[in-house]
Amino acid sequence: MSADTVDAAVGTIRGRKKVVAGVVGGALWLWLLARWAAHNTLLDSVFTAIGLPDLIRSEVRVGAREPWIPAEPFAAVAEALGGVAAAVGPAGVLVEWLAWPFELAAFATSTGPALAAGAFITVYLTVISMAFGLVIAVPLAVTRVYGGPISSSLSLAYTELIRGTPLLAQLFFFYFGLPLAGLVSGIGLMELPGAPRSAAVVAIIAFTVNSSAYQAEYIRAALQSVDEGQLTAARAVGLSKREGIRHVVLPQGLRFAIPGWTNEFVYLIKYSSLAAFITVPDMFRRARDIGSDTFQYTEIYVVVGLCYLGLVLTTAIAMQRLEDRVALPGVGTSTGRE
Amino acid sequence: MSLLRVDSVDKSYGDEPVLHDVSFGMDRQQVEVIVGPSGSGKSTLLRCVNRLTEIDSGEIYLDDEEIHGVDENELRRRVGMVFQDFNLFAHLTARGNITLGLREVLGLSKAEADAKADDYLDRVGLADQADSYPAELSGGQQQRVGIARALAMDPELILFDEPTSALDPELIGEVLTVMKDLAEEGMTMLCVTHEMGFARSAADTITFLDDGEIVERGPPEQLFENPEHERTGTFLGELTGLHQ
Amino acid sequence: MEPAVLQASDWGFIFANWQTIALGVVVTVLLTATSLTLGFALGFPSGAIEVYGEGWLAEAVSTAGVLLRGTPIVVLIVLFYFALPIPQLGSLPVVGVKVDAFVAATLALGLRSAAYQAQVFRGSIQSIGEGQLEAARSVGMTKLQAIQHVVFPQAVRRSLPGFQNEFTIVLKDTSVAFAIGLAELLTRAERLYLQPGRDTAVIEVIIAISAIYFVLTFTTNRTLDYIYSRYAIPGGNS
Repeated sequence: MSADTVDAAVGTIRGRKKVVAGVVGGALWLWLLARWAAHNTLLDSVFTAIGLPDLIRSEVRVGAREPWIPAEPFAAVAEALGGVAAAVGPAGVLVEWLAWPFELAAFATSTGPALAAGAFITVYLTVISMAFGLVIAVPLAVTRVYGGPISSSLSLAYTELIRGTPLLAQLFFFYFGLPLAGLVSGIGLMELPGAPRSAAVVAIIAFTVNSSAYQAEYIRAALQSVDEGQLTAARAVGLSKREGIRHVVLPQGLRFAIPGWTNEFVYLIKYSSLAAFITVPDMFRRARDIGSDTFQYTEIYVVVGLCYLGLVLTTAIAMQRLEDRVALPGVGTSTGRE
Repeated sequence: MSLLRVDSVDKSYGDEPVLHDVSFGMDRQQVEVIVGPSGSGKSTLLRCVNRLTEIDSGEIYLDDEEIHGVDENELRRRVGMVFQDFNLFAHLTARGNITLGLREVLGLSKAEADAKADDYLDRVGLADQADSYPAELSGGQQQRVGIARALAMDPELILFDEPTSALDPELIGEVLTVMKDLAEEGMTMLCVTHEMGFARSAADTITFLDDGEIVERGPPEQLFENPEHERTGTFLGELTGLHQ
Repeated sequence: MEPAVLQASDWGFIFANWQTIALGVVVTVLLTATSLTLGFALGFPSGAIEVYGEGWLAEAVSTAGVLLRGTPIVVLIVLFYFALPIPQLGSLPVVGVKVDAFVAATLALGLRSAAYQAQVFRGSIQSIGEGQLEAARSVGMTKLQAIQHVVFPQAVRRSLPGFQNEFTIVLKDTSVAFAIGLAELLTRAERLYLQPGRDTAVIEVIIAISAIYFVLTFTTNRTLDYIYSRYAIPGGNS
């Protein structure tokens, strides 16, 4: 594997492009956070409990939520340009193209509340699955590298099986194949306010299993890139093998794994969109529903594509800064999803 | 008539002056050794001669022709170069390393190029390694292939950029032997090296470069026995002590 | 739905429908092949342009790469399917796949793969030491000759592991063409268990096709490993 790519997970973003991505992405995040807060159940109950004014409206259904940015100005511009296009005749095609971004903006603002609600699910699916995945991945990787013949082959088999089959098939397996959804709603936990729906829980299970295998691979490669002499030196000062791994190899290896881990984070933001196919109302599912309601497929998919791009680019840039901060001087490896 | 004439050459990297007012000339079949502390501009000077590095001002003549008026590829065909890190083409065999230039630059047929490559490999004592890849060869062997690669282009002048600095001590000898043979055969050589034994026995002229300027230049006996400048004596003394 | 039990009759159902599954495999393999070919044809030049190109072309290639790598594959597939004016060309014979869906999926998977392959190739080119280019120039080769005969042959070899990754990713992601109803392996599998009274076979069908995907990725990976070792530079670690 090439160990030379040190760029962000989606490629080199620099100069003007980085500024644009940072500013637009920052604005997107501000808007998202505000929208999430405005309709958050938990926050609503807190506000009610301590007697603050009823600013948080978690009771409003997603479909009934009002956009904050008015669509009218964009629509007006688009209409005006459309008028110009009609007036200039054949050359009007160019003007019509100019009008399109404004039509798109008008459409985007009207779909904003639904997409924001979906983005909330996209983000928590990703973050929770990455975290749980990491908890499984570390022992998997350590077992693979330092375990006995049986445990290391079991670890290998797990990662190979998961990485050798499509994520969508895994989602179907857990959702349609295993009665997990029924089990989850049977527990009754799901009745709590703000708790995810059972399909979302199944998605988190599937993503956790999937990303644990990929994360384990990054960590394994990183552990193996730690010089063998390090463990020998640890043993030489009297640490047990376990202590040596714990205190000497892992702190270095996990640092090496950070670039790969960043990549995995970005991958999971994108692949979390597949949860839509097991009925989870994530950002992509919301977009698909809007598409079939309005028949404006092209428009909604462009809009949702840009939203994903915003999430992905801001994450990649933020992770890059994190990497730069925690990097040990002079070392580091990076790999892509295999 | 000089084969190579360097005239008032200046070169700096940004604000960092590397070469200042460097002038010297060398005749055909001469061996010139440039010595000097690291960072003195020796390698830069060498690279200016085949235009891997471009000078800021001054002139360099090859065969009385200013080299900036010559096509750079044509110039490099006429001026060979041997690198400190060998820089053998990693994906090609020893023979392939030599034939690539012969075929692509000189337009030789495969048969002609192969024959010529084998001939030159034989001259550097590696006839039996023609089919080996660089990573299968020792450092000394790699550098000998590097020399054969430069030689095979029939250059008028070969530049040696610290050809033994990257080698383990026990491998230096085989490369120096090849270089001495070349010198005896009358190859024109401009060498940057710290090998004082080679400089003393093979060089016609030694140039001592320090801080981008030529401090002193003359035959080996003069620089080793009677240096005009104290700096020269100190530097050569240290190197000689170090290597012998 | 009854809790799934691995029933013999359900496995029998799968074997009875082996033709449906086989056709799905054919479509999946075909889609992988067309997408990878497109990805290779565009990705390698793009990687070279990102290293050696300048001006608006390099800028455009790099921007397109970020856009393609930053968007989920499912969004790309549906976007290409709905937004591009791909003519309705009917169905492919034998495999029964709508041509427009196949073209849209190929474009989405292929262009995305090109963006990743460009990165792989770019990284490989940049990993070739400057000395290799200098050595080539020092015997009088032009920059173009040096790139063609010295840099590219080494960079392509170093790209093989990355290309292997890409192969696996594309093969697995052909399943996302499910989103536009393309009759590849996963879509056909779903159609099988959606037949009336066949919902007990869900888990068996999914296990069966997962096994097929696994065998496909595994065998191809081993084959590529072999090719890689075959064409590796002897003694080299690249």
